[in-house]
Order: sequence, then C-alpha cells, then structure tokens
Amino acid sequence: MGQPVTNAGAPVVRSTRSGWAFLAPFLVVYLLFVLYPVVQAVWMGFYERDLLTIDRRSWVGVDNYRRMLWGDGLTWQLGTMWPWRVVGLFAFVPAFRAYRRGALSIRGLVGLGAVLGLVFAVALGIHPGADGRWSDSQFWPSFGNTLVFVIYSTPVIVGVGLGLALALNQPGRFIGLLRTLFFAPYVLSVAVLTLIWAFLLNPQLGLIGELWAALGLERVSWLTDPNLAMPTIVVVTLWWTVGFNIVLFLAGLQDIDRSQYEAASLDGANGWQTFWYITLPGLKRTMLLVVVLQIIASFQIFGQVFILTRGGPNGATRVSIQHIYESAFRDAELGYASAMSVVLFVVMVAVSALQFRFMQGDEQ
Amino acid sequence: MTAAVNLARPEALRRHRQWRRWSLYGFLGLAAIVWVLPLLWMLSLSLSDNEALVRDTTSLVPVDPTFDNFTTLLESGRTPRWFWNSVVVTVATTVLTLVLSSMAGYAFARIPFRGKRIAFPVVLAGLMVPKEAMFIPLFLIFADVGQHNTYQALVLPRIAAPLGVFIMTQFFSAIPAEIEEAAVVDGASRGTIFWRIMLPMSVPALTALGIFTFVLTWNDFLWPLVSATDPDNFTITTGLASRQGNFAQANALGDLMAQGVFASAPLLVLFFVFQRQVIRGISLGGGGK
Repeated sequence: MGQPVTNAGAPVVRSTRSGWAFLAPFLVVYLLFVLYPVVQAVWMGFYERDLLTIDRRSWVGVDNYRRMLWGDGLTWQLGTMWPWRVVGLFAFVPAFRAYRRGALSIRGLVGLGAVLGLVFAVALGIHPGADGRWSDSQFWPSFGNTLVFVIYSTPVIVGVGLGLALALNQPGRFIGLLRTLFFAPYVLSVAVLTLIWAFLLNPQLGLIGELWAALGLERVSWLTDPNLAMPTIVVVTLWWTVGFNIVLFLAGLQDIDRSQYEAASLDGANGWQTFWYITLPGLKRTMLLVVVLQIIASFQIFGQVFILTRGGPNGATRVSIQHIYESAFRDAELGYASAMSVVLFVVMVAVSALQFRFMQGDEQ
Repeated sequence: MTAAVNLARPEALRRHRQWRRWSLYGFLGLAAIVWVLPLLWMLSLSLSDNEALVRDTTSLVPVDPTFDNFTTLLESGRTPRWFWNSVVVTVATTVLTLVLSSMAGYAFARIPFRGKRIAFPVVLAGLMVPKEAMFIPLFLIFADVGQHNTYQALVLPRIAAPLGVFIMTQFFSAIPAEIEEAAVVDGASRGTIFWRIMLPMSVPALTALGIFTFVLTWNDFLWPLVSATDPDNFTITTGLASRQGNFAQANALGDLMAQGVFASAPLLVLFFVFQRQVIRGISLGGGGK
C-alpha cells in the first residue's frame, strides 16, 4: 500500500539542474567570501603589499613568515619560560590516557608527543640572545596575550556558566526571570559593553570605585595596572557572554534522563555524588561543545581590549587580532597581516580539531 | 523511640531542604541584581543632566532627570545616520541569509542531484573557518574592486553563512517525505513546493535563524570597523566605539550613555519581547557546530 507512492513521486528522479539552481545563490557568495579569502590570505602572505599603494605588490616568498616567527641572534636555553613549558608538557597526560583507552592509536600518540616535545621542550627555549631581537617584537607577545586570555577565560566562563546553569535548572517564574537577567548582556554589542565598563571601572567616576572606597579599600585602576588589566578583561567578558554558556548547559541538563537521578536518590547518593557520577558524565557532549566554542571565541578576542585598553598598559592586553589589525591599517602592511591571519587560522583550526579528538575519545 | 526518630527526621530534612532552597534563591537573586546593575546604571546616566554628571556619576537614579540627551542625539550629530546604516545592513543581511540558507538547505535535504556528495562537505567545511581571522583577505577582495564604504561590502560577506545552510538542511530533512510527494503527484514544480509548502512549514526554524543573524549583524564590530571607515558609513556599533577613545571628556557622559541605550535598544526590546525565540536563536550558534 505504501510503496507505490515513493515510486510514483519525482523525488527519486535525479534533478541535477534544479538542485544546483537552488544551491547556486548561496554557493556563489560562499565561494567568494568564505573559501576564497582563505586562499587569498595564503597567497597574499607571500607578498609585500602596501595599504597606500594597494595596486602594487611584490613577491617576497616566506619573508613575512620569517619576520613574524624569527629574529636575529636567537639562542636556545633550557630555562626560558620554564613554567609554561612544564605545564605544556602536561598536555601529554590526556593524550596518554586517550591512548590507554584505545581512543588514540600508537602513531597518533607518538606524533602528538613529538609535536608537544618540539613545541614545549625545544621551540619555547628559543629567545633573543644578548644582542639579538625578534624581527617583529610584537608578534609573540600579542600571541602570548591571546593564549593567556584563552587560558584564563575558558575555565572561568565555562565554570561559572555551569554553576549558574545548575542553580537555575528548576521550574518557576522567579527562576525564569533570573535566567532572563543573566542572559540579557549577551545581546549587547561590544561597543555598549565597553562603554558601560570603561566607566564602571574608572577609579574616580565609576560605581565600582565608589563601592571600593565605601569598603575602605584603596581605589584600583583596573585597566591601567599591567597585572590587573587582563583579568579585568576576563571578568568583563564573563559578564557579557556567560549567558550563552548557561543556555547551552541548561539544554544539556534537560537531556539527562530523570530516572538516573531517581535511582541515585534511592541509593542514598548525596548532592555531590549525584553531580559527579550522573550530571557531569551526562553533560559530556555539552561540555565538549561549550569548551570548543569558548576557546574559538576567546582566540578571536579583539573588541573588548581594542576599545577598553587599546592593548595597554604597555602592551599587556595586546592580542593577535589587534596586532593583525594594526599591522594592516596602522603600519599599512597588508601582505604581512595576511601571513599572520594564516597563522592564526591554522592555530585555531588545529586547537579545535585536537579538542574534538580528545573529548570524543573520552566518550567511547 | 524509633518511631519518634522516624517522625522527627522528615520534618528536619524538609526544613533543611527549605532553608537550602531559600538561601539558593537569595544568592541567585543577589547575583542577578549585580548582573543587571551595569545596565541600569547606563540607563540612569543617559537620563541624567550632563551638568549634574560632572558632580556625581555613581547614582542609580537619574540625577536631575531629563530626556535632553536623547533629543540632542536625534537632532544633531551622526547618530541617526549610524542607526539607519545599522538598520539597512542588518535587515538586508537577515533577509538575504534566510533566502539563501533556506534555498540551499532545501536543495541539500530534498533534491537528489549530481555533485551533492561533494558540495555538502565543502559547505560544512566553512563552519571551521574562523570569521574574525579572515578580515584581511576580505578587506583586500573589496579593496580590489573599490567597494569599501558601501552597504554591499557590509552585507555580502555576512550572508555566506554555512551555519544557516546546515540548520535549514537539518530542518528540511526532518519533514516527512509524504507531504512533498503528494504535491509532486499534483504536478507542482520544485519552486512551488519550496515556496508554498516548505517555507510556510519552516517558520520556527527561519525565526530562530533570523534572530540569530539579526543579533550577530547588529553587533558586528571588526568587519564594519575595517570596511566602513568613512564616519558617514559607520554602523551604530562602530560609531559608538569611535566616540570612546577619550574618556577624559566626561562632560558629555549622559550623551554618550544615551547613545549606548540607543545602540542596544532594538536588541533589548527584541529580547524581552521574544525571549524564548531569541534564546533559541542565539543558541543556534552552538547547535550547529
């Protein structure tokens, strides 16, 4: 009875022309403005091209990359940046665990180990010697600042998001209102965010300074203290974007089977045990999603620092995209900026790919 | 003896639970108040008299309440122009994204055609391209054809949204085949099926995608900053950012805050009216990856 319909209907017949016709409008803009720019960035990364004489360009090969990554009179030392290097080598631990669980092949493990060793044991030991210097004194510091932001912001924004989602995961009008309030800042643009916070944080004019003074504490210049500027940017970003993570976590919490909780409570599990053995494993997929999105978003940080601190004080919050932006539009070096875009692109794709591998491995 | 314990325990347990619940509510309520304070502060300053703000900027209640800041903005300066630019760009981007994404999604989900197996992964690969990292090549492309400081420069790169195609493909795939087949039997063309049957059925998905696109476009910062450099072509977001360079000039603080309210009003209104849809739409950004 059911079968004649599928045979009679046209969907079985290939309709290549109408298929492409429906796809074409999107495909044109997609190829032009998403895929072609990647090609263009790689291509232009081998040229020198000035913003002011934009029609002219000259081939310089890998010079842009050499200038970005290398310098004169570089030396190698075991002691340089050692805390970072030790921490970095610890990345091998989850890889090894994934291997033990069978999620990572021995070739994958060796390959990853080689990369980690190369980066953290060897590469990070390279630094300018007594008379040496990096060709671009700004590239590595701004890349480092971006990493610092990623490393600070990811656990904070994901953790607070999870905590609030757990607290808000219950019915009721009051709770519904709270969810709304926590989410509200997310719809603001970065310019509104910085407008509010620049004044809130202003030691003389702002609400926070006033509060601080009322508590008898010394007024702090949050954004002009080199040690406080980046953590402050993290807090501002937390206020702005945590609502997004809350929403994703709340959706994840809805998907956890209720009967598991009932079983746990019959077994006399306490709140912490329930969280550790049921909620957290149940949120694994959501956690993967949130962490990856957070890392990708954090790597792209720009607006907050560009408007709030302009990268200051003394370059303490200058991030990669700002460096690319200023190389292109202040120093007028478009070829060089293209090469840096390529590097940022590769790093971001690599990080998110790695992340997916690990967390998927954990699931099996 | 045992009976007494059994009677007493549930009571104590209930009281303990109730106490925990109320302390949780108290904590959450307090946190939520802290969360909205910055917004209220902006609103309060925008309604305060500029002169009064020179003396006191820490009030959560407007000082010498006035609408002057808003009327000044509307009557002088470029704010209305920037606002209009944002409206044009955002509406055009949203509408075109919906059209292109739903057409492509329909093709991928419902039309068997040669080359689909290659085209679909190619489009999905676009989800991996970090938009903000690619603004330099995009700048060069538009510079080569002399199209900066135009609406199309702000709209075209943003309507190429692989996420939208992915979402619409998923949505159309879930529609039962019988519905389409009945129409085919009646002799309807693909265009008719798409326009008359598929689109009306996909209003929820289109709403979510539309809101997502709208919010993203309205708040877009880096690309307009790079492409629309002529002050007449700023969007409200880049325009507002351009006024924040010098924080010493606090004498126009009320003015500035009014501009902030102006810039966020459409989205805040959208959010508070269509809360559920907005949250659903914005979390699409997560659902697709």
